[in-house]
Parts: sequence; C-alpha cells; structure tokens
Amino acid sequence: MLPYPKNEIPRASLPARIIGIGNAGVQLADRLVMNSPGLAEVVAMNSDAQSLTSTVAPRKSNLGPRATRGLGAGGDPEVGFEAAQESLEEIRFAVEASSTVILLVGLGGGTGSGAAPVVAEAAKEAGAFVLALVTTPFSFEGRRRAAQAAEAEAALQRHAHAVIRFENDRMADLSSPREGISETFEAADRLLSECVASFLEMLNGDGPMPVTIGNLLSVLREGSPSALFGRGEGQGDNRAHEAVERALKSPLLDRGRMLDDAHAVIVHVGGPPTLSFSETAAIMRETSKHVPDDAHLFLSVSVTKTASSPVTVTVFGNHEGGPPSTPQTRVARPTPEPKAAPEFTPAKVAKKEVQQSPTPDQKPDPLRPSPPGRLFADDTEPTPPILSQPGVPATPPATPKKTNPAKVRQETLQFEPAARGRFEKSEPTIVEGEDLDVPTFLRARPKT
Amino acid sequence: MARNDILVGVEVGTSKVCAVVAESGRDTELRILGVGMAPSRGVRKGEIVDLAIATECVHDALSEAESNSDVGIEDVSVAVTGSHIASFNSRGAVAIPSERLEIDEDDLNEVAIKAREVNIPTENTFLHSIIQHYYVDGQEGVINPVGLVGRRLEADFHIIHGVKTRLQNTLRCIEENGMQIDQVVTNALASSHAVLNDHQRELGAVVIDIGGGVSDFIVFADGVVKQSGVLAVGGDHVSNDISLGLRIPLTRAEKLKVDEGSALIGKSVPGEMISLKNDAGFSGKEIEREMLNTIMHARVLEIFTLIQKQVAAETPSHKLGAGVYLTGGCSLMKGIREVAESIFEMPVHLARDAGVSGPKSILNNPQYSTAIGVVRFVQARMAEEEEPTLLGSILGRIGGIFSRR
Repeated sequence: MLPYPKNEIPRASLPARIIGIGNAGVQLADRLVMNSPGLAEVVAMNSDAQSLTSTVAPRKSNLGPRATRGLGAGGDPEVGFEAAQESLEEIRFAVEASSTVILLVGLGGGTGSGAAPVVAEAAKEAGAFVLALVTTPFSFEGRRRAAQAAEAEAALQRHAHAVIRFENDRMADLSSPREGISETFEAADRLLSECVASFLEMLNGDGPMPVTIGNLLSVLREGSPSALFGRGEGQGDNRAHEAVERALKSPLLDRGRMLDDAHAVIVHVGGPPTLSFSETAAIMRETSKHVPDDAHLFLSVSVTKTASSPVTVTVFGNHEGGPPSTPQTRVARPTPEPKAAPEFTPAKVAKKEVQQSPTPDQKPDPLRPSPPGRLFADDTEPTPPILSQPGVPATPPATPKKTNPAKVRQETLQFEPAARGRFEKSEPTIVEGEDLDVPTFLRARPKT
Repeated sequence: MARNDILVGVEVGTSKVCAVVAESGRDTELRILGVGMAPSRGVRKGEIVDLAIATECVHDALSEAESNSDVGIEDVSVAVTGSHIASFNSRGAVAIPSERLEIDEDDLNEVAIKAREVNIPTENTFLHSIIQHYYVDGQEGVINPVGLVGRRLEADFHIIHGVKTRLQNTLRCIEENGMQIDQVVTNALASSHAVLNDHQRELGAVVIDIGGGVSDFIVFADGVVKQSGVLAVGGDHVSNDISLGLRIPLTRAEKLKVDEGSALIGKSVPGEMISLKNDAGFSGKEIEREMLNTIMHARVLEIFTLIQKQVAAETPSHKLGAGVYLTGGCSLMKGIREVAESIFEMPVHLARDAGVSGPKSILNNPQYSTAIGVVRFVQARMAEEEEPTLLGSILGRIGGIFSRR
C-alpha cells in the first residue's frame, strides 16, 4: 500500500512549547531539557533572576524585573501576579505561534501560583492548547501554602484547557524512605518529565491511532484533576508485558488499584515498527482488567522509525476521588464566588453541614468530589468554585455511584493505612471483587 | 520395576522448604529415607519473590535431607503453586482410519494432543493433562481403549496450566543449587497422591492443602481428577489478620496462632484473656481469646466458602462420597475441621499419609504431605510408563498372530 500524505492541519506543524514557571517549574524544565533534549522549545520563567542564570533552558524570561527587582516573589502570589502583569508582553511573545503549551508549575509559592494563570490566559488567547502540569505542596508545608495552591489551581482551571495535578505527598512514595532528599525530588521530577514527554509523544506521534486533543480533554475534564499516570518500557521477547506491568506498577497508580475508580483512561502504546497488533491487544487486555467496565478507554498507538526503540506503555487517567492528602482549606481572601462564600464563613457551621445531606447550594460538584480529608479539616469550605465559572463546559451527569462520596470514603479511610499488612507489596489476590489480602473481619464488618 | 529408585520431592513453600528423599520399592511401596526442612524466605503466596534467598533456603533443606538420608541428591521433582495456575476440562477426539479398526497407543497420544488444542494465554505452559475418561464410538466408561475396535476415540482431559516464567522461578532456585529437575507437579495433585488411595478416589473426594501462602484444592470424582485450583490465601493471611487486628508484630501473631489460636468461636469462656509474654518473660499485653478466635474463624471460613463454591459449581456432593481431606501446615490449626464440616456439609478428615513407611513423626506431619506427594506422583508416573509398554508388547504380539492368519 502506498503511503499517502495526510492532510496536515496547520496547527500541528507549530512547535510545542514547555514553560516552567517559578522555582519548581524551572527546575522541572531543566530536567526535561537534560532528559529529552529536542522534545520541545523550553522556556524558563521566574521572578528570581538568580535561578534563571543557572537554568539550562534555551529561553529565559525574567518576570517583573521592576516589581520584584529580580529577587523573587517571596512566596506571595500577589507579587507573582504583579510581576506577570508587568512582563505580559514578554509572556505573550513566549507563547505565540505554538500548537501546544505545557505549563510546569509548582503551586503554593509566589511566582508559580501568581504568574501561571496569567501565562495560561495569554497562551489560550494566542490559540494554543494549554495544559498545566502542577504539583501541590506537601501537607507538612502548612495550610497557607495549600490554600495558595488551591486558589492558584482554581485560577488555572479557568484559563488552561486542562490541569493535571501531581500531589507531592504521593510523590514521596516514589522513593524509599532511606533515600536522600535529592533522590526523592529527582524521582518526582523524572516522573513529571516522563509525563510531559509522553504527552507530546501522544499528541505528535506518528501512528495508526493518534490521540486527539478531544480524547485528551475528555479524560482530563472528567473527575478530579488529580492525575493517574504510569509509564513503562519493555524490550526483548516479552516487551509488551513488561511495559504494561511497569506502567501499572507506577506508584501514582497504586499498582493499578487507583484505576478502579477511573472513568476515562488513555492508554498510549509506542513502539518500533515491529510492534504487532497482538502485543497491543495484550496490553489493552491487561490494562482493561484494572479499569471499570463503564469507563472510557482510549487507545492510542504511535510507531517510531527506529527499530531499536523499546515498547512504551503510558497509562493516563483521572480518578473519581479527590486527593487524599491535600487539605482544601479556606482561602484567606474572599473567593470570587459571591453566592456560597458568605454562607460558609463561620467554620463550625460549615463543618456540620458538610456531614449532613447536601443542601442545594452546596451540592457536591460531580467533577470534583469532596476529598476525604475535608471531613477532618478544621475549617472546611465548599470546593473552590472552579467549574461553575462561565466558559467551562457543562458538567456531565453524575453517576449514581458517586452521589454520596463523602460517606463511603469515610468508612474505608480508617482501615486504609495498614489493611494489607505484610501483603502490602505483593500482587493483590482479588476474588469476586474482594481483595483477599485485607483481613476478612475488616471486610465483613461494613456489610453486616 | 525391579530396581529400587531413589526419588526426591521438594516443595518450595511460602513458610518452609521441604525435601523428602524416598526409596521406591516393588509395587507401590515407598520408604522415606530422610527429610529436610528449612524455614522459607523470599517466597510470597507460593511464588518466588527473592531468588537468592529462596535458593539458599532450598540449599539448606536439600543438604539436611542429604545428610539425614545419606544419599547424594541429583534429580529432584518439585511441586509448584501460585495464583496463576489454572485448570479446565477439555475433550479431544480422533477418527480411527478405516483400514485399521483397532485403537493403538498412537491414537491415545493423538487424542491427548487434540485435547490440548485449546486457547491458553500465550505466556502460559501446560503442566498436566490428566486423562479422565475415554469414549469409544460414544461408549462411556472405557478405561483402556488400546486394542479395542472402534471408529472414533474421544477422551476427556483435565488440563492444568500456568504462567511459564513464574513457574521457572521455582525451578531455578533448585537448579541454582546444581540439581536436575526431574518432574514438575502442582501442589494440589501432589497432595492428593499423598493422602488419597484408589478407593477414596473412586468414591470421590476433595483434597484441600492449606499452606502458608496458598490453598490448593483438587476434586476427584469417579476415580478421576474433576477439578483443581489455587486460592492465593493461606496461613500467612491468618497471621497477618491477627497481626493487624490485635496490633501485634507478625512474628508474635504467628506464634499466637499456633500456640493459642482456634478457628472455632463461642467455645471460650467469655472474657478469657491471653497474656502475651514479652522478651523478658514478663507478661505484656493482654488479648481476649474470643477476639483472636473470631479473627481466625472469619478467615478460615472464607477460604472454605470460596473453595466450596467452586467445587459445588461443577461437582454435585453425592459424587464426593469420601468427603473432604485437609492437609498442609495450616490443617494443624485447632478447630479447622469443624469449620470445614460446617461449610462442606460432609465428613472432613485431617489427612495423613498412608501407604508409606518410614519415621512415624514425619508421616503424621501434614507439612510434609506435598513433598511426599511429589515422590508418590513420580512413582506412579514411572509405574504408568513401564506398564503400557509391557502390555502393549503383549497385545502387539497377539495382534501380530491374528493378522498373520
């Protein structure tokens, strides 16, 4: 069969751009440049001039040289915001003429939290597909940072096409407790840069089944933005199996268990020209075992030209539950939603009401179910009004399963930490939908 | 069968590695020469998770068995288990060419191959295909069709298969010790060879081998293997449950299970406490006995319920005249027989190896039953292999006489 030229959409020929914002973002961008050079144009943006001098990113832009005098935002998003406003022209120049803009932001600080929404807005205006990869602060970094992160994320949700959140608390599981702190951060950075790389591969990859931005959006839009991500590579005779096993073993997937309540999953298979259909089918079969029946499963296949490249499997999805560790505490400043904010200002009232049946005003948002941590937070407030904003598509109808997420989660929560004991690290034994490694008496109790 | 063969069976279990050295005498006589046992590490749920450590444990057990039996071990047969092992029944059929009416050995081999022509996952390999019944031109109950006249030979097989790579790991930790693998047999089949005699097989029986990491079961009805399976739950799970439920370390939970635990509830005096001794010998924490038993009961009950469901789905209880036989280390648990009886609603026996001579203390320990079963399986295989050739040659001669006429 003769290959025929595809109708090139002009957008796709434009380069993808990766922008690291703030200290964490710049570091991530650095890692990306070092790990996979030539992947995309990388821009480092920071208000701290010193961090920019040490970065290896080919393009740099100092935000707000006047507002911060090149000394950084000092952890204040307001300063970050001002700095971004000051350097708006520079930002516009950085994002123009690109098909995809991927923002790398560590939320919770000053520059990242304040400037990222501005960059996202500018990129969207320039006509790019904007994807924000954010990390949320560790829970031990305090409430204030968590609040700043939550607010910035909400703002990013408004401007970016999609936001993917990686919780630093879960990143800590990537390395063993005894490993050095730099190794832990390196592992987290590596994972994020893998994620970016596989995204670009997915979007730009050449193959019989490319993933479309539409597919990607439908995965990212449903459920909470907390990312489920796993990537694995395999070579040799059993490469397909190796790759899918490794992908599912990713700590962010909790050995495939996090996929149990995913409702949209993209599986990307990349490989050399020798990648066979049966291998792809085997990968899909293996993955679909972990995914609920009613979940959307998107397959994308891309083929590289080099025969020696490994088979890679990237599993990407969104799960239903919110983050177990990020307390979404009340933001100090008034939230932009006029309706709900006054009602829930007294913290005690709010706490009580969350545990009661939801009133119409605080109906749990089906897109962002309340995280279990909220029930125990001191001052609780309804989920930041992210998707009720105009300009964001209507929410799909909630499935009956998640009508009362708070109640179900609360029961399982206290058993979670030690429920599997010595079988924590071994392959789970699932019979008739029950994890037999969890003590029988624990499983039996909620039923009777 | 005149010569006496030295047979070695090894089970690499989750809690211990057992090696049995036996001498196969005439007929079905089997004499245990020595055994070796070493606590096992690097094994989870019956599968190797740390090859180096598991290899060491196998070495310990084999060298103990060698010195006990005064025999140099070279060839070893091994029992395998794991949740990846699956089984099903399959029927194969061959047509006998019209110029030859008599069924011969080749037809039997061919029908066995035909029965294997089924889809198993590509990474899997066949472990056993066990003959259940032959049918000659639709006639049921043919035990040996060789020499019979027929047009069409059919055969039911019970086929057991497992993931090749995962099986190889068990074999490797024996090969690393410089041993040759003779035969590979699943735990369930081996245990059944250890605990059941022909009569019990004919009556129909379930053998459940509850080990440390997994529970293997096998169902015999009408003298043949009807079902087999592996449930990746075992004694380790009971200990783990106790450890999590009572918040005590796993090693202490294990000891508590063996020393004090029972699978029966409602038998202890309400409020009866067990005091745990700490390292210095002083009494430490106190634990309610009923609580301990409740935890153990729940787990054991679940294991039996899951197995019973699978058995009942395919084999009606009137086909299981001999009842249920429990073996494996976990069958030493107090009260386990009563719990099994309440689930299966048929007589439950704690199986001990029969028809073997040797030190009594070994034979009465169900922990050795799988390893002994391996040896018995190999012995039965050898007998099978030799017999047909003898029979076949006689038949062939008779056939030759007839055709000459």
